[in-house]
Amino acid sequence: MQKLNEIDDAFGRGARGRRTAISFIVLGILLIVLLIANLCIGSVPVPLADLASALFGSDSTNISHQVIWDIRLPRLIAAVFLGGALALSGFLLQTFFNNPIAGPYILGISSGAKLVVALMMIVVIGANQAMPSWLLVVSAFVGSMIAMLFVLAVSRRIDSAAMLIVAGVMIGYICSAATDFLITFASDSNIVNLKNWSLGSFSGISWNDISVLLPLVVVSAGLVFLLSKPIGAYQLGEHYAKSMGVNVQAFRVALILLSSLLAASVTAYAGPISFVGIAVPHLVKRLLGTSKPLLVLPASFLGGAVFCLFCDLIARSLFAPTEVSISAVTAIFGAPVVIAILMKRQKSRRA
Amino acid sequence: MSENAVYLHTEALDVGYDGKKLIGDVDFSVHSGEIVTLIGPNGAGKSTILKTIAGQLVPVGGAIYLSGKPTSELTAHDIALELSVMLTERLRTELLTCMDIVETGRYPHTGRLGILTDDDREIVRDSMETVHVWDLRARDFTQISDGQRQRILLARAICQRPRVLLLDEPTNYLDIHYQIELLNILRRLVAPGDVAVLMSLHELPLAAKVSDRVICVKGDKIGPVGSAQDIFTPDVIDALYELKPGTYNPISGTIVLEEISGQQKLT
Repeated sequence: MQKLNEIDDAFGRGARGRRTAISFIVLGILLIVLLIANLCIGSVPVPLADLASALFGSDSTNISHQVIWDIRLPRLIAAVFLGGALALSGFLLQTFFNNPIAGPYILGISSGAKLVVALMMIVVIGANQAMPSWLLVVSAFVGSMIAMLFVLAVSRRIDSAAMLIVAGVMIGYICSAATDFLITFASDSNIVNLKNWSLGSFSGISWNDISVLLPLVVVSAGLVFLLSKPIGAYQLGEHYAKSMGVNVQAFRVALILLSSLLAASVTAYAGPISFVGIAVPHLVKRLLGTSKPLLVLPASFLGGAVFCLFCDLIARSLFAPTEVSISAVTAIFGAPVVIAILMKRQKSRRA
Repeated sequence: MSENAVYLHTEALDVGYDGKKLIGDVDFSVHSGEIVTLIGPNGAGKSTILKTIAGQLVPVGGAIYLSGKPTSELTAHDIALELSVMLTERLRTELLTCMDIVETGRYPHTGRLGILTDDDREIVRDSMETVHVWDLRARDFTQISDGQRQRILLARAICQRPRVLLLDEPTNYLDIHYQIELLNILRRLVAPGDVAVLMSLHELPLAAKVSDRVICVKGDKIGPVGSAQDIFTPDVIDALYELKPGTYNPISGTIVLEEISGQQKLT
């Protein structure tokens, strides 16, 4: 035992543990502050003092109570879980392609999901039916898998990390353009909703949607966390992972399915949201000072939730009552992170 | 454990890429406590043989056995308990310390989430001390020299506690001081007799000193297999590397240049 204490001291394991603890505490505090801010701030301001009564009060005719329960709470839950899902999806794709700027949006996977969902909505709404929540998710998953298979086919032919991203962006453009065509030619008045959603927004999420997306994201995220051991091995490359006993084939399939499913859940309910998948895992790794998946995965989920709560607050309150699309806000905060990653890589390559 | 247990052997193994045979009928065995070295010219297929045994390439024909069991019937996990590797490919890691890298060697021995026990940490420390890299434990893996990285990867392979260590050009990037140190480490490692090493080496003088047995690899087959004394003779080495007779001097273990300055033939 003596010797092990020595190891801990010599390595600074204590210092590392402290840094981990502080990181999670910071993320936790940010989450709580943003949760409260998102409940209180809006066109009907709810003073902090009234929050508890508005939340838990039995007076359902109270306007604050209605706003919080019908609008803000589902929206906030969506931002938390979809934000976490986006960050995880990004981290999985970065691991899979060994590319620090891979993510569901930049690789065109979100746009693929968007295209199939738009197509399905026009068909279903055109037939005067209501779109069931599960069909939304299934369509998004089909779309994201189609885009994903395209990206995989490209990655087999070209070995350049930069070209892979360019190919992904092009796939994204094609899918977005096709979606725009569909929306323009579908004249039904219901399609107005579609336009909002196709730009990315957490608005209009119902409790019914939450009842589908919550278990979906929680189960997927749980499965991802159980993969943290092989992900850690895979960070050393495919060959080393195999030599440690990872069933690489099955692992790669699991990564593809889970990252697509997470990205699809987000796109189905909130449309395509840019940069969260790249920026959050990167910032979280810097915060923790390590890229060990056992720590980075849960911290990324928290970080994604914090980032999306923050961006959604800005999106709906900055020019209230007009809402900015969530992607516009996430891009403003996320894109500089990508530039920083690229510049840092260039520097380390020269060194 | 019997003294001459066969830890690894191949039977009529054909290796190559995409089903195309490069080297056929590879037959050799590696026993406990033994260092076996593959030598041969560049591009002769030393790495192809090692990659096939490591499972990175599918054998074109024949079979590989670990402790008597064919690898085709073993899971990746079973193989990981028998065999660890040190590869020539460069690692692209981010924010991982040297100790993090070494710890990944414990992968096959840890539970679902890969959390290390105190025993695992002791083994990590022992492995790092064996290779004299304990002082590097908290350094970022990308911030150390190539030679230091090579030693960290050796510590990683050791800490997996396999029966067979498979090392592809382990002396790459090392200067003569660390080359000799590395080979001494390998000798100490196999001395207790429960581990074997199979590796490829470019440096003939080092191979001659460290190897219990040597396998010559050239062209489409493996050549003579024998003890260092049998292989490191002018005839075998000059033929293997297509040198002019008399270029290789087995006594000094080095090469002799032509007297008149002209085209130099170096190993």
